[in-house]
Amino acid sequence: MANNPVDELSQREEKKHVFKDSTFDNSKTVNGKKKLWRSLKQITAQERNLPWPDNSINYSSISAPPSFKPAKKYSDISGLIAKYKDPQTSLYYAGHEEFSTVRNLPSDIITGYLTLRGSYNPIG
Amino acid sequence: MAEEVIILKDLKLVPDKYYDYSQTLRNSKTPIVIDNGSFTCKAGWATSSVPNLIFKNILARPRKERGKKDGETLIGNDIANIEAVRFQLKSQFDRNVITQFNVQEQIFDYTFSHLGIDSNGSINHPIIITEPVANPNYSRLLMSELLFECYHVPGICYGIDGLFSYQHNGHNDKTGLVVNCGHHTTHIIPVINGTPDLINSRRIDVGGYHITYYLHKLLQLKYPAHYNAITPSRAEELIYEHGFLAVHYTDALKQWSDPEYYDHNVKRIQLPYSMAVVLTPDQQRDKRREMAKKLVEMNARKRDEKLAEDEEQLHQLLMIREMIEDGEPIEEVREVLRSHGLKNEKDLRKLIIDLQTRIDRAKSKIAAASLNASNIEEHEEPKLRFFKNKIQLPKEESISKIWLKDIYKKRQDIIDKKTVRKQRRQDMAKRGTAASLERMRLISQLARKDKRDDDFGSRDEDWDVYKVINKEGGDTDSEEEQEKISELEEVLRFYDPTFVSSNTYEEQNPKEAHQLHFGIERMRCTEVLFQPSIIGCGQGGITDTIEFILKKYNVQTANDIAENVFLTGGPTKLPYFKQRVYRELREMRPLESNINVKLSDSPFLDAWFGAREFASKHDFHKYLLTPEMYAEMGGDYFIENYCSNMYYPLPEAVQEPEGLSEQNIEI
Repeated sequence: MANNPVDELSQREEKKHVFKDSTFDNSKTVNGKKKLWRSLKQITAQERNLPWPDNSINYSSISAPPSFKPAKKYSDISGLIAKYKDPQTSLYYAGHEEFSTVRNLPSDIITGYLTLRGSYNPIG
Repeated sequence: MAEEVIILKDLKLVPDKYYDYSQTLRNSKTPIVIDNGSFTCKAGWATSSVPNLIFKNILARPRKERGKKDGETLIGNDIANIEAVRFQLKSQFDRNVITQFNVQEQIFDYTFSHLGIDSNGSINHPIIITEPVANPNYSRLLMSELLFECYHVPGICYGIDGLFSYQHNGHNDKTGLVVNCGHHTTHIIPVINGTPDLINSRRIDVGGYHITYYLHKLLQLKYPAHYNAITPSRAEELIYEHGFLAVHYTDALKQWSDPEYYDHNVKRIQLPYSMAVVLTPDQQRDKRREMAKKLVEMNARKRDEKLAEDEEQLHQLLMIREMIEDGEPIEEVREVLRSHGLKNEKDLRKLIIDLQTRIDRAKSKIAAASLNASNIEEHEEPKLRFFKNKIQLPKEESISKIWLKDIYKKRQDIIDKKTVRKQRRQDMAKRGTAASLERMRLISQLARKDKRDDDFGSRDEDWDVYKVINKEGGDTDSEEEQEKISELEEVLRFYDPTFVSSNTYEEQNPKEAHQLHFGIERMRCTEVLFQPSIIGCGQGGITDTIEFILKKYNVQTANDIAENVFLTGGPTKLPYFKQRVYRELREMRPLESNINVKLSDSPFLDAWFGAREFASKHDFHKYLLTPEMYAEMGGDYFIENYCSNMYYPLPEAVQEPEGLSEQNIEI
């Protein structure tokens, strides 16, 4: 009698996914270690190294090319078109009102803006 | 209108319901349609008019805590508040490709169990599922493996979401261009006479996710004080409620730089806040007294309980002693003693004495405490008076003037120190200034090779040189200084009515201090789709890529394509998306050429609808990959259809035998 609730629970647990093959093991343990899933980078790198026929397509081959137009520069702070770049912080800014703001920014905000724009270089 | 303040909705997700597995579904092998997007998963029966399930394609696995039972894994709409579990979220996707198939398995479990399926050991329904353009064979292999070997489905059909959407919008065998804007990627697929030209398709690695991410980070940088209140979910809400695409970005920027236009179009977003309650000294004292009282009461209660317990035990022990004295049989006495955890009579006597002293002590403590209670208030008063004495105005006017002047000077000194430091920092950053030249001189001196009489470090002052050559100037703006300044300012404000504080910011009312101004960001964040360079992505934007693709065709075909540009996917719902694409195409295409841009009827769901229609076709079974084919043709095999990728067998498989034979020869 006392075992009944436990039985019920396990039954419900099973019932939840009765449609599955219980022998299927997706975690793929190899020598007791869990197999790691390959990342997209690994997959595409491996794919690129294969000798594909000429007219075939794969994940890397359909990547869009860079733009032919020069990238426009926008003020990091306001988003307006940036005419200037501060040589000290290397932030873009639009006008003299923004300049004083740029100069007063704490360093973590400056690196934040640069990282967001993808041009943060800690080496210099 | 400009003063209107927008309150965030912070919608909570509602768990999905479990559907019934009706007899007709059970017996009819109705296909299950799954639009497996990296943002949301749309799943349902091919006979349903709308997807039965729409949920975020994520799961939250609670962290394992010691001593606690593992919490339940939450999936999709079970997660009521995503922000609460932000760091435990898992997705099966790496960009737009599925890589984590253990997560995908749990998502399938969720999907199938919510559809009500309860058949034993298998799913008796073919699956039609979407996949990205040029899905790597490896990923498809694992997907087929999962569906066939774990769920034993009778058949799988793969297709591309954007193309299903294109078909659904009635473009059956037309020429056109599909612009499918997803969560992580945007695909641009030319279709020639109804057949997708995948070789000339391109993928831009920017999508809805990047819009949200960019806005989230921008607002956090703009309002560092509200760093934690600005969450990705809130950013997402803001974009879909108030975001739009600029038809002409640079022109729009010029408009925004006009303060009047800005004021008129900025959205003020109210973050939740609570009024900081400032207590008067009297209230504070009352509160403290109340807390102390509570504590005393709690202690007293504990002591009373303990006392009662002890007394009860003592009573019992005394009874036992009486029993012994009365000369009860030894066996019985021993039994009773054992039940109290005692060995013999000696122990009993000792315990009785212990208990008695403990009870006495407790009683005297209680008596002392009740005496103390009346004394507490007297103790507190002098303490407060002491606080008030700390800053006291001298009585004579001349002295008070000097005193005030002194305070002013102290404050000015700190401010001066700060400005000097700032100037130094700026000078250091530039080349050629005296400060940086001096710094370089010192560094070269320190690095000099011949140190004949090197006694560096013998004096403590030697080490100061490192403070000087440090770019920061040795010390930084400390919080301590800021605190000192505000303390001094408070004194000045109190004693000198003419004093004006240096920062008025803190006096802003909390309601306004918790408002975000959502202005240029409304279109700045969505612009990443057209100018990925904004977030440092090297690829061209949507229209750049369209131009690139059109150049691959002859004039006639390019014209045909431009005449039928079709937009689908979540972000294309943003206002003016269509106009923006049209405007740029108009500039790009030859004069007087025909351009048509059409927005999908329902950008979010059309891929599912298209896949459902495909699954309802009478010849659907022809396109089904069966378990037999899977076993025969290899794991990455699938049957092509007019909405799918093309099948290229893994070249590796052909080469393997050669490699093996070579090895054999060597041996």
